[in-house]
Amino acid sequence: MVDAAVGLEEHHETNTGISNNKLAMWLFLASDCLLFGALISTFLLYRTNISDNTPFTAPSDVFDIPFTSLSSFVLLMSSLTMVLALSAVNRDDQRNGRIWLLTTALLGMVFIGGQVYEFSIFRAEGLGYSTNTWTSAFYTLTGFHGVHVSVGILLLLGTVFGTRKSGLGKEKAQTVELVGLYWHFVDIVWVIIFTVIYLIPIG
Amino acid sequence: MAIIEEPLAIGSGDAVSETVDRPLGDLTRPQISHTWRDWLSTVDHKKIGIMYGAAALFFFVIGGAEALLIRLQLATPNGTLLSPDVYNQVFTMHGVTMIFLVAMPMAAAFANYLLPLQIGARDVAFPRLNALSFWVFLFGGLFLNSAWLLGGGADGGWFNYAPNSTVTFSPSHGIDFYALGLQITGIASLMSAINLITTVLNMRPKGMTMFRMPVFTWMNLVVQFLLLFAVPVISVALFELTFDRLFDANFFNTEAGADPLLWQHLFWIFGHPEVYILILPSFGIVSEVIPVFSRKPIFGYSFMVFSGIAIGFMGWGVWAHHMFVSGIGPISVAAFSLSTMFIAVPTGVKILNWLATIWGGRLRFTTAMLFAVGVVSMFTIGGLSGVTHSIAPADTQQTDTYYIVAHFYYVIFGGTLLGFFAGFYFWWPKMFGYMLNERVGKWNFWLQIVGFNLTFGPMHILGLQGMSRRIDSYDKGFGFELWNLVATVGAFIIAASVALFLVNIAISRRQWKAAGSPNPGPDPWDSRSLEWMTASPTPEHNFDEEIEVEGLDEFWHRKYGYDENHHVVRIATAEEVAQDGSNTNVHLPSPSYFPILLAAGFPIIAYGLIFSLWLCIPGAALLVYGMVGWIFEHPDDPNAAHGHDHDHDDDDPDAIESGGEEEDQGELVVAGATTETEA
Amino acid sequence: MTPISPAIRKALRLLAVVVVAFVLASCADDAELDTLGEQLAGPEARDIGSFMTWILWICYLVFAIVLGITLYAWKNFRIKTDDYEEGDWPEQVHGNTTAELAWTAAPAILLAVVAVFTLGLHSSLNSTDDNAISLVVGEETVAWEPEVVVVGQQWWWEYQYHFGDVDLVAKRVENLPAADLTTATQMVIPVGMEIELEITSRDVIHSHWIPSLNGKRDAVPGRQSAPWKIQADEPGVYFGQCTEFCGLSHSRMRMQVIALPMDQFQAWVTAQMEGVALDAADQAYVDALVAGDTPTPENSTQRAIATFRGKCASCHLMENVADDLWSSERVAEQLVSGVAPNLTHFSSRTTFAGGIRNVWDPDTGLFNANDVRSWLQNPESIKANYTEPVSEGDSRMRGMPNLGLSTQEIDDLVALLESTGPKPSPEIITETGVE
Repeated sequence: MVDAAVGLEEHHETNTGISNNKLAMWLFLASDCLLFGALISTFLLYRTNISDNTPFTAPSDVFDIPFTSLSSFVLLMSSLTMVLALSAVNRDDQRNGRIWLLTTALLGMVFIGGQVYEFSIFRAEGLGYSTNTWTSAFYTLTGFHGVHVSVGILLLLGTVFGTRKSGLGKEKAQTVELVGLYWHFVDIVWVIIFTVIYLIPIG
Repeated sequence: MAIIEEPLAIGSGDAVSETVDRPLGDLTRPQISHTWRDWLSTVDHKKIGIMYGAAALFFFVIGGAEALLIRLQLATPNGTLLSPDVYNQVFTMHGVTMIFLVAMPMAAAFANYLLPLQIGARDVAFPRLNALSFWVFLFGGLFLNSAWLLGGGADGGWFNYAPNSTVTFSPSHGIDFYALGLQITGIASLMSAINLITTVLNMRPKGMTMFRMPVFTWMNLVVQFLLLFAVPVISVALFELTFDRLFDANFFNTEAGADPLLWQHLFWIFGHPEVYILILPSFGIVSEVIPVFSRKPIFGYSFMVFSGIAIGFMGWGVWAHHMFVSGIGPISVAAFSLSTMFIAVPTGVKILNWLATIWGGRLRFTTAMLFAVGVVSMFTIGGLSGVTHSIAPADTQQTDTYYIVAHFYYVIFGGTLLGFFAGFYFWWPKMFGYMLNERVGKWNFWLQIVGFNLTFGPMHILGLQGMSRRIDSYDKGFGFELWNLVATVGAFIIAASVALFLVNIAISRRQWKAAGSPNPGPDPWDSRSLEWMTASPTPEHNFDEEIEVEGLDEFWHRKYGYDENHHVVRIATAEEVAQDGSNTNVHLPSPSYFPILLAAGFPIIAYGLIFSLWLCIPGAALLVYGMVGWIFEHPDDPNAAHGHDHDHDDDDPDAIESGGEEEDQGELVVAGATTETEA
Repeated sequence: MTPISPAIRKALRLLAVVVVAFVLASCADDAELDTLGEQLAGPEARDIGSFMTWILWICYLVFAIVLGITLYAWKNFRIKTDDYEEGDWPEQVHGNTTAELAWTAAPAILLAVVAVFTLGLHSSLNSTDDNAISLVVGEETVAWEPEVVVVGQQWWWEYQYHFGDVDLVAKRVENLPAADLTTATQMVIPVGMEIELEITSRDVIHSHWIPSLNGKRDAVPGRQSAPWKIQADEPGVYFGQCTEFCGLSHSRMRMQVIALPMDQFQAWVTAQMEGVALDAADQAYVDALVAGDTPTPENSTQRAIATFRGKCASCHLMENVADDLWSSERVAEQLVSGVAPNLTHFSSRTTFAGGIRNVWDPDTGLFNANDVRSWLQNPESIKANYTEPVSEGDSRMRGMPNLGLSTQEIDDLVALLESTGPKPSPEIITETGVE
């Protein structure tokens, strides 16, 4: 009855071949799709209402598309660095793994900084959270995404600094992979949000 | 990284070295002590399941008291027992309590307890997350009900249509409690769904293929997928409502041009799958009970499974049948009318398959079987009245009348709740090691069925006579008097029946103690699935060793075979086949205080959002403390717990010597200390 | 074969009673709101009712089959626990694909048939005709395609009639053109005509339901419902009740449809288009007030006019008494819904307070001064209300507040309200009586 010790970091064979942690992450992300789906639906319902209670006639009056495109590009590039981080960890290259994880977090922070800057501009132009249905839907949708990115940044930093003692060796590849899954998901969601809010003209 | 835990494989021994796990310095890793403290820190899916059940029963009593108040108010015309304001709170809280705090957690109780056992696993995939789900649910439910003490409950109905739910029309805090409380219990449901799906998909032992899983497991798997996708939708609706109420957003502010149908769509996209979330677990229970007491396998296993999956899928395409009179346009109404009609097909298949299972069997009408057969007939009434609602023109006369109330009680009471009672009587010996008294049980059943039909049968008539839902009083002269009085009498019969059930628990336990606490044996009903293949009550480690599964109804096939004439013959007794639970060397997931601590953060934050944002700080601090402690506490303290059954305090020395485990968080490792001591 | 125990037999008999009662559901004859049976008075309600009756019979049949199989199995396959033998196992049938396909297909086919009829009925309910009647409105004769704007608010119904050729499709009720005629709690319609309803709301969601005439339709703020209609084949009174939970006094939000023959409907329209009829002295008093003078009231009517103008007119419209003081903008500052019942012809109606009290006593035919007085004294004694301001930053109210009127003021107002007329016919007073 007494088999070998249960290797706590060793993965048992699962029925699906996907580890429990990874399966759980996939399930969580599937669920999160519906969260964003509902938020995006709400925004779509109110997307033409920006003129209520404001001097603007269309969102294009307030959007700075080049700026937001740039911050979107930064976020997309962070997916690339995330891939590089995972590949480094898989190679047992701790130094580069940490560098790329930190770069990913940094790019995420740049994106969040951009979002905060953008929000403050909108606010200054008279688009408060309570101004009309459009602003409520806009800030809530982009805000929820921003919170997701921020959680991702915490996960990245947690992975880098939480492993200072134990090292970021190959055995941590799965942790990095899970954080990566989440991070890529958040990026993909942004592509959809960016398209829906900023690129599709109203009318 | 809260979810990063490792599963435990059955059949492995343990790795032991004494470590004192103090992730945050002050909180010592709890050790199993067999006192009430265990319940606070347990990560055992069985204890968590029992706690879900106990909590659900507790809320059931609260919701039941609310129901009796409603029925007393409506017993006679122009009732004055409750003021209109209080009545609106009572029926709202009754609905919310019964659905979110009784039916769902009761299903979670059975799912938690049975899913790992039925697939032959040691525990769920993420034991600590499981504990967290429970505590979050419990605190969410208590938070929701604390509204009664803090200015009154929600008063917008469980469906809580906007804009009646906005601050303008409901200025008290009741709806804030509703929105935040359901948000919290939603988090619990979501975590539980992820956990149980992972368990079922990943933790099956050798040979337990998907299509060898019991129907109960299948139905619950479907339910967990429904929760996985439905909960985020209601979460968004609740977030939007909360932001409207607390931060002046405009999602449902019609004065700012908002569309009130947004809430209806979001609510019912969640709400209709929710109906199947409520009913499918009961279908699963019935599908377990009927074969055992008919001495036949379930008729058409694959049809049963696929019809459950079909219901799960189709459940997403029918939500707008709650909105036939909302003015969504004739084309949408026609489409949803048709989709709703055809969801009756897989449901009908289930009913007929149950009847076919009974047909030609050797029926033993135990209490569990009575309740299961009760589900088959009573749910049929609910299903048929459901078909009458799917006819959109007829629904314009029926919706929001007592006819609808009758319908959903025949579904949720006649289907779900009777199914749970079948489950109680069936699995009680497995959970608690003693049988519930059958004689009292039969009284319990017959009172229940009579009271139930007296209460809800007349509501069909009241509804067709035009009595509206959610009215706090009615006038004489509409023909409502007689049947309302009958319904009230019926409600008290139901209450008596439920009380009898609670009494039965006590009586049965006393009788059992008086008889010298005889063990009911692993298999008191001559059952079919794996949970009966271990001792009763289920030992902490579930199974002594991994079961290699060769087919559906594995346990039955180990007990019985066929002779040359294809007659069933016994080849082994249950005791010979079942494991006795004596293995003491099983490594079990360690208990932890962090789930309960982390969970306690949620209601504090919610109170903060309602009363003073400052309160959010300690709430968030507790949350973060719980999370950090969780992350740095090894999920699986090799020392903390073993599969020591109460009766076996003789440690296997090999187990202690069989190798240490290096903790990666750098805790103190004390070698050579003894493991656990039995008091 | 074991006999069924007496207890079970008794329980089964009870169950049978319930089922039979269920069958007899449509037989109650004192049910004004019944959705099945004899008193259905419009083609829509009758079509729904007869279709539903058919469906119910199918349901009874299916349930009888399921219950029958269950009871048969109970009787024939039951083994008493004591007689349970170790080796007594039936044939282990695991399923039968043919049978299962059959009972998957059978309900599907049955439902497909039901679906065809459902779609037919659904499309007829959602179609509208364009028959018009010729109606004298004021000086001119108009061709009126009967159409009523139904507006719900906490907790009463407003009915607007627009006789001109105007587009009534506006997303929000505030965007509609001014109505020619507005009334409350009772919708008066010509008999035998299809009446199109434009249903909407000013605050929360309500639902407009006259079971004898047709199914219900929600009144959703900021939306106008897809076309809905009612038609009464016989002159008479048809009761209704708000059926979407709408807050505190949802139970007390009632309405009635009064179907009149064409000539009586014409007379009703003509009377409603007039303002309150006053005698010369009172008229002069009103004219002086409108002109900005402050004459001293000399009789009860004049005192009532002064009180009305001082305390009621900021919310309630009374044509020819205080219409100069009334504007929808002004009401919107006082009330969340932005409207209070038009009182110009208060006593031409037979119910008030959201349709729960009689204006005229159905037994004596006299003005129900008691209830009107109680209402003016303290509205909350009759109908649960919210009279507190919505919030600190929003002083609007959601119901009729207690105005603190003196007994004298109340008596004067009661007399004025009684005189607004014209008094409805005795039959109408009897048939519309509530409680």
